[in-house]
Amino acid sequence: MKLKRGGRDDVDGRVPPNQRLTRGWPVLHASPIPKFNPAVWTFRAWGEVSNEFEVSWDEFRALPSVTVGSDFHCVTGWSKLDNTWEGISFRDVAARAKPKATATHVLIHAEYGYTANLPIEAVMDDDVLFAWSHDGEPLEPQHGGPLRLVVPKLYAWKSAKWVRGVRFLDHDERGYWEVRGYHNRADPFREERYSWQE
Amino acid sequence: MSEEPTTPADVWALIERADELIKYASNRDPKTAYEQAKETLQKAIDASCSVPGAAPLEKQARTRLDDIARLEGGPAT
Repeated sequence: MKLKRGGRDDVDGRVPPNQRLTRGWPVLHASPIPKFNPAVWTFRAWGEVSNEFEVSWDEFRALPSVTVGSDFHCVTGWSKLDNTWEGISFRDVAARAKPKATATHVLIHAEYGYTANLPIEAVMDDDVLFAWSHDGEPLEPQHGGPLRLVVPKLYAWKSAKWVRGVRFLDHDERGYWEVRGYHNRADPFREERYSWQE
Repeated sequence: MSEEPTTPADVWALIERADELIKYASNRDPKTAYEQAKETLQKAIDASCSVPGAAPLEKQARTRLDDIARLEGGPAT
């Protein structure tokens, strides 16, 4: 499946308020860059699901892939347009895990204990994926390689780098930045930056 | 922002500044970035005691000091 933005060269309506465009790709993260060892790396899905699973890097990479074009907005103020991501759609991961009817949210788990929470409807959009490639190249470690979540409609801290799994929940549970004063929902077009706005 | 924080928003701005120092630390000398973040957070803690309505932000600043201590100690795993 290939999803691309349709023929809009202008940026009108694509850059959220108080964001500036960047042609580069700033590097920022709240932990060291982890070392990737494909021999021991695993991805796990668990929680409110009827089919918990854990797969190796090779098994994960063998799942059907998607290519998605989308924009990317960082809460620190930059936006990067027209990214092409390749990876596994969240929906395909969910289809394998089979969330129970009670599952309302997910908590993404990444290296060093980083987490990001999302309502399940936000991750079931067709532009949400676990990406291993950006603009045709393997995702570089400083940008979250080997695997990061991409949730284009929300500020980028929700697009966790160095993802290792997803826990389905029957309740909401704030993630790393969300407990540190940042907005639980994080819609850039509504400038949902801080928890006091909630 | 004035030199001395006078509102909770000023105190939060210090915390947010520290967040940016931490998040962009890998682009420069992390040790210097962490030191600057710690100084900024200490300012936020001091201000949270005197600025009306800013007391809850002390916990936020202290959480980040704990985060930096872990970062300076190296990866946990």
